[in-house]
Amino acid sequence: MIRLEHVTKRFDSLEVFRDLSLHVADNQIVGVVGPSGSGKTTLLKLVAGMVQADEGTIAVDPGAIGYVFQEPRLLPWRTSLDNVAATLRARGWEKTEARERAAAWIERVGLKGFEDYHPAELSGGMAQRVSIARAFAVDPRVLLLDEPFSNVDLALKDSLMEILQRIIREGQTTVMYVTHDLTEALRLADRIVEITPERRLRELDLSDRRAVAAEWLSASLGKL
Amino acid sequence: MLFSILGAVAILVLWEVLSLYVNRAIMASPAETAVALARLAWGSTLWVQLLITLKRLVIGLAVGAGVGLIMGVLAGLDERARSFFEPVRWVGMTIPAVILVGLSMLWFGLGDFTVIFMVALIVIPTVYINTLSGIQGVDGRLVEMGRVYRFSRRLLLTEIYAPGMAMPVMAGLTLATGLGVRAVVLAEVLGAMSGIGHAFTRAMSLLEAPEMFAWVVVLLALMAVIEFGVLRPLKRRVTRWRKVPQ
Repeated sequence: MIRLEHVTKRFDSLEVFRDLSLHVADNQIVGVVGPSGSGKTTLLKLVAGMVQADEGTIAVDPGAIGYVFQEPRLLPWRTSLDNVAATLRARGWEKTEARERAAAWIERVGLKGFEDYHPAELSGGMAQRVSIARAFAVDPRVLLLDEPFSNVDLALKDSLMEILQRIIREGQTTVMYVTHDLTEALRLADRIVEITPERRLRELDLSDRRAVAAEWLSASLGKL
Repeated sequence: MLFSILGAVAILVLWEVLSLYVNRAIMASPAETAVALARLAWGSTLWVQLLITLKRLVIGLAVGAGVGLIMGVLAGLDERARSFFEPVRWVGMTIPAVILVGLSMLWFGLGDFTVIFMVALIVIPTVYINTLSGIQGVDGRLVEMGRVYRFSRRLLLTEIYAPGMAMPVMAGLTLATGLGVRAVVLAEVLGAMSGIGHAFTRAMSLLEAPEMFAWVVVLLALMAVIEFGVLRPLKRRVTRWRKVPQ
């Protein structure tokens, strides 16, 4: 569960959000769409507790938070396996158990055999898969995804989306998925909220997903 | 490697040639130096003086590097600490070493403490600056990742900060060791009654050129052991991960 009530956030004179409220139920997958600079990442950082709200309250399920950043953010001096294991050790796991669980997750994201590779030896897509493994390994009650596929090509994005969909469906996780690409959100999310140019949240009607996608695509094409 | 050997041979040849033309009382040849070195090593003089200097150097380096490292970490994590240490760093780097020796001699007299104090004081600013630049160079996005995943302070330090700042800190330690060796000898020349620096001064006052040069060789050997036996393996160890193809 994620609950934001009347949240206001300012950075110096810039007001990013005013009186923003959003409720995400347990195990719900909510997509948050909006153009670059609309405050999507700030919204995730508020939920993760990385920045504090100036006003209002934010409540998040107790338990681990998984976070997949735009870029993999792996420790360059650690192997794939140790990158995943490090987050488990932060949660109090013993070294051996942490490495065993990390190895299982590395395998689940299709990287068996690459456990001892350092990030510099992996492609961008492989490194992002390690970061997905890291996020899921902590058994998160809340999973925050910040445009995790914005730096990968279309074919790779498709395969990463499939991995993500499969793992999310198998688990019990509340997900907030931030993207500027509505079609990505439509594939994954139960519901979608849009950050409007006025920085308000608007819930999209998803009764006809194809129509929503078609409208968005035609609006995008209209800008060409 | 080949060119390094050629460089060393060139120094020896130049030394030999110079020794043929310069007064024997102030310039010994490599062969005479070797004989003097063997004589010093055969008795206990070399080892006693070497151990005295080594002890002062190691303690001075450990204290100076420790203080510099702690100051650098504090300054890197807190802007108020950085502002506070800035005048200290400036004073430490600006006062000439010879004046520091003079003041130390006045305050602490001749002996171990003066030399160790001097070495530590010379080393602190270099280690401080390198540690500060190292901690400022740590990728803030990794720190943010660590905080999201609830890394403890210890884990943040061991998994993110320490490896992230290892390269500049190692560069600082290498530089500091070179400075420390120079400082220990200077302090022993001026403010001690033992150690390699003092032994060198004694040989110089007796115009014992072979022994003078033998002490210089001992000093070079000491530095070589520290650099190739300690610092380089340590650097290789802490930066092993950089060897993977980028």
